[in-house]
Amino acid sequence: METMMFKQIKSHFATDDVEVKRNDLYKVGVRHERLFELIHMLRDEYDYKTLNAITCTDWIEEGHFALTYMLTTEDRKHTFMIQTMINREDAHIKSFSHEFKQAEIMERDLHEMYGIDFQGNKNLKELSLENWVHTPPLRREFDTLEFVNNNLTFREGRDDNIDTKVESKRLRALKKAEKEAAKKAKEAAAAETVKDEEVKDGK
Amino acid sequence: MKWSVDLKGTLSPLSILTAFWQKPNTIAYPAVKKETAKGYRGFHTNFLADCIGCANCQDVCMNDAIDMIKTDKEYNAKNASQCIPRIDYGRCCWCSLCTDVCPPDSLKLEDDYLNVTKYASDFLYMPKNKE
Amino acid sequence: MENKHITIFHGPQHPGITGNMSVELDLIGETIQKATTHVGYLHRGFEKLIERRTVIQAFTIVCRICVPEPDPNEANFAMAVEELAGLEVTPRAQYIRVMVLELSRLAAQFLWMAGQSGSIGLYAVGQWAIADRDLILDLFEELTGARVYHMYIYPGGVRRDLPEGFLERVSTLLTYMKKRLKVYDDIFINNASFKSRAIGVGVISKEEAVANGYVGQVLRGCGIEADVRKDAPYLVYNELEFEVPTQTAGDVYARALVRRDEMDQSIHILEQVVAKMPEGEVMIKMPTHRKFKLPKDDTWVKVESARGEFAYYMAGDGSEKIRRMQVRGPSLVHAFTLLEDLLVGAELSDVALIMNSLGICPPEIER
Repeated sequence: METMMFKQIKSHFATDDVEVKRNDLYKVGVRHERLFELIHMLRDEYDYKTLNAITCTDWIEEGHFALTYMLTTEDRKHTFMIQTMINREDAHIKSFSHEFKQAEIMERDLHEMYGIDFQGNKNLKELSLENWVHTPPLRREFDTLEFVNNNLTFREGRDDNIDTKVESKRLRALKKAEKEAAKKAKEAAAAETVKDEEVKDGK
Repeated sequence: MKWSVDLKGTLSPLSILTAFWQKPNTIAYPAVKKETAKGYRGFHTNFLADCIGCANCQDVCMNDAIDMIKTDKEYNAKNASQCIPRIDYGRCCWCSLCTDVCPPDSLKLEDDYLNVTKYASDFLYMPKNKE
Repeated sequence: MENKHITIFHGPQHPGITGNMSVELDLIGETIQKATTHVGYLHRGFEKLIERRTVIQAFTIVCRICVPEPDPNEANFAMAVEELAGLEVTPRAQYIRVMVLELSRLAAQFLWMAGQSGSIGLYAVGQWAIADRDLILDLFEELTGARVYHMYIYPGGVRRDLPEGFLERVSTLLTYMKKRLKVYDDIFINNASFKSRAIGVGVISKEEAVANGYVGQVLRGCGIEADVRKDAPYLVYNELEFEVPTQTAGDVYARALVRRDEMDQSIHILEQVVAKMPEGEVMIKMPTHRKFKLPKDDTWVKVESARGEFAYYMAGDGSEKIRRMQVRGPSLVHAFTLLEDLLVGAELSDVALIMNSLGICPPEIER
């Protein structure tokens, strides 16, 4: 059953990117123009009737978002991960909210966190963040540490933190210097005693 | 919703009245305190004669809660940096990752968990010096 | 006629909701015309926090995503990391994980009973349920070191071995629970006032349930035998024997009966685990936290929690930090798509009843 499905996907969509991850999990990569065609084919011919989740990963080094749609069969025994890449700048894709009712809330969540425009979704309002005007937070260019250091104040009392590696090096160098100084002082004292004895003998 | 005679459903909840002559679930705190189980993740203790000041605990702490500060006197000659950890309880989540990575096993968690104070500066907690 | 139309907020501070969210209701008289869910009071930003932490540091905060039942989060995280890194867990650790997950499921169902009975005014049942849940939390305190946020199911095994005599204490508790649950049957499940409030309220149809991606007791209350432990078994569930209870009516009372039967099944599974516990190590050797790297790959793992199917998506990128972890809890779709649908035409006094029976947990909606 699955080999027939994979053959059809590979030939129809001209992709070799079909993977079997576990005995109940498959993954395929497809171009975003043909995403709807693939999902309709899986839903109508192969029983993948339920949309479980839509996730997004930010690959900032490669310049694209990887959107993954999880579809499950009606008997819930197999899951298909369908992955497509969209551009990071001006990210947009057609919405699934007309075909799967649950896609509306999932796309609303991703719109808020990544700034992706799901064309056709009527309800892209804010969800968890209120009156947020900065970059969509889950994008990799949003640096939380820098944001926090610029906008919030920290409680006093923690300025006496010491870097232990630097401190151990310093203490070791200090001990070494002390040892050298003690050695030199001993040698000098020994030389002094020898000189004194020479003078005594000479007398 | 139609009303129909449900004799069992009306009379069986009356068995709740047997609670009158059962032992209560509550204990008379603070006269009687609940016994904490062994291995509870409470406040930190650090045996300073073993602590070597390696800052592994500071490195693994996932919330940046540990500061290494200078000791007031020499507790352990093998402590290369002469620094010991102090923990910010405003940030600590008691995950005990710091006790897992301590090489001489000097940092531990005891079963004490109550600390009531008027001052927010008391959040910076110095672990008790015991075994 | 104009004065009959009002808009009120049910929540975010309301004893009849299961967490911290609000539902904006448009009413005519006491019948609801339109419902809009609002969340955002519990957004802590877990998915962004994970980006700056190594894998072992991230494990400590994952349990806080779901407050009533933290253990499915830890199990999902550990299973995803182990799948990406190619690690195999010892049999004793797998049996201990199953024991922790089933005890956590029992504790969460007691918490559900407290919420459901409180929503119709049977407060005595709720207080007894919390007191019985406390006995399970005592066992957790002994095993893991904390009562609610255990941080115990570690990638690679479990953190500590069982204490001396622990399995005997679990068996004693299970014998007590079997007797005690019959008392709850008398005072809550068969109670005429609960039946007259709950039968015929909040009915969901079977076709809608499958198409819209609902999970858990919503599906089982409509007659579909949906359980991740049977459909796609994980850990050692394929070696244990249990049933999946279903009802056909699809209303609040059917879902309550399903939950009551699930508590019996949890006790049955725990008895088998206690009898079959193998010997051996509980933790495999793991590299230090700055050297544990995940390959550039992604995966999707799921677990059956007390409220339904809980799933994680995890992607690694070859470094010691996780690139992306997305949490798909059971409540995301239930709180928006399902609740806004069910509440149209319902009465105002039934809002708390319906929300509790769907098992909506706001912390996992907005993480």
